[in-house]
Amino acid sequence: MAEEFEPKIVAFLCKWCSSAGSDLAGVSRMEYPPNVVPITVMCSGSVSPLYIFSAFKRGADGVLVSGCHPGDCHYIKGNFYARRRIALVKKLLDYIGLEPQRFQMSWVSAAEGKKYTQIIKDFVQELKPLGPQTKLRSNS
Amino acid sequence: MVNLEDLKNEAHKLLKEGTVKYIIGYERGTNGLLPIPAFIKNPEDVERLIWDPTCVFNLTRFLVDEKRRKASEKEPDERPVGVIVKGCDSRALVVLLQEKFINRDDVYILGVSCEEAGVLDEKKLAKTLKGKKAKNIEFTKNDNFVVMTEDGKTEISAKEILAERCLECKANFPVIYDILLGEKVKRKSDKPFGSLEKFESLSKEERWTFWKEQLDKCIRCYACRSVCPMCYCDECVADTINFAVTADTTAEEKAQKIKWAEKSPVTSENFVYHLVRAIHLAGRCIDCGECERVCPLDIPLRLLNKKLEKEAKELFDYEVGFDPDQPSLVSSFKDEDPEDFIR
Repeated sequence: MAEEFEPKIVAFLCKWCSSAGSDLAGVSRMEYPPNVVPITVMCSGSVSPLYIFSAFKRGADGVLVSGCHPGDCHYIKGNFYARRRIALVKKLLDYIGLEPQRFQMSWVSAAEGKKYTQIIKDFVQELKPLGPQTKLRSNS
Repeated sequence: MVNLEDLKNEAHKLLKEGTVKYIIGYERGTNGLLPIPAFIKNPEDVERLIWDPTCVFNLTRFLVDEKRRKASEKEPDERPVGVIVKGCDSRALVVLLQEKFINRDDVYILGVSCEEAGVLDEKKLAKTLKGKKAKNIEFTKNDNFVVMTEDGKTEISAKEILAERCLECKANFPVIYDILLGEKVKRKSDKPFGSLEKFESLSKEERWTFWKEQLDKCIRCYACRSVCPMCYCDECVADTINFAVTADTTAEEKAQKIKWAEKSPVTSENFVYHLVRAIHLAGRCIDCGECERVCPLDIPLRLLNKKLEKEAKELFDYEVGFDPDQPSLVSSFKDEDPEDFIR
């Protein structure tokens, strides 16, 4: 029997909330799928759409952008900018025909280790039936 | 109707009084009816100026070049540059002013209204005329164009030869100007995003097939980027050539210079380039249709930009190119922006 497809997720986590949230999940020994590659960024507002397209190009099966809850941003309003920009990226990716499930955004605070594990679990479950992302992946 | 004599007189006056450095307009080229951009410095040369539905170009692009040229001059001429703008071009100018790329004092705007017509699509015209050369084109009141060819006059419905964007135009008169020629009348357009409808009704896989087929054609000539008045970055993320690797380049410099997209025209790289261009033009593209016109492989680039214009309108109630004091789409937010997609 063929091995089950294990999706690879690139997660852009903001330093102040979501990274700390994933840390909390780690130190609390909560179990969650090992499919995620976390990348700490200073703010969800600093995630350029180029990072996202680039991640898909370099073979990510799913991309997650996660930041502080609205109003909790360390830089006061970075996540509001992110919300606008990510909404546009999501619409654009859907428009060109990429499965909308492959690109997600979430709010995870430093105390929500549990929520973080749940988001990753759900994400992996959603990606498995879709199979590998080949549309935007570079062949070289 | 825009009276061409009025336009020439105004231009003559401006040049004679020395109010402007020079005037960017349209003149008849050597390839049939198609005009070329004209840079008029002497008052006597205003006779070369033309204005009719064949004037498709967006001349605001030259203001971007002018800014660069001025920056490199030792003793720049501080007088403004006169530029002839249509409705769509004036909106491009609004965005450039909004982004503080150019100053209002550096440009003297001669607005011309398209009134109830618009500009022609050369490809559509060539198709309709079946190889015949048009000698003269005039717009008549009953929404028709009278085209003179070697075989005589033919009347063609405006819908058949007008550029797609003109059929969806939000305002075919200049929204910002120093002098306005023609009347501020709007062409009736019931579907501002009509060209998207057919496409949006396709399924996800059909859309993917469509875009893969279209963007695979791209040869990365960057004509779309060169012609776009909004693509004024000194260094584009799509370029890696700006980074010259010499013997003195340190490993650190190499490591810090990220290659976002390779230059090779393959699917994945083309998608990165076109997607990022579309996102960079979100809330900035004023739909002048130049990228699509200059594309040597006829990629329907307008469909990408138009989609984001539509989303900006629907999600954020943002309309581009009417107010130079409005904050730009991605550098502003509202508390009630949609977040139903966020977990």
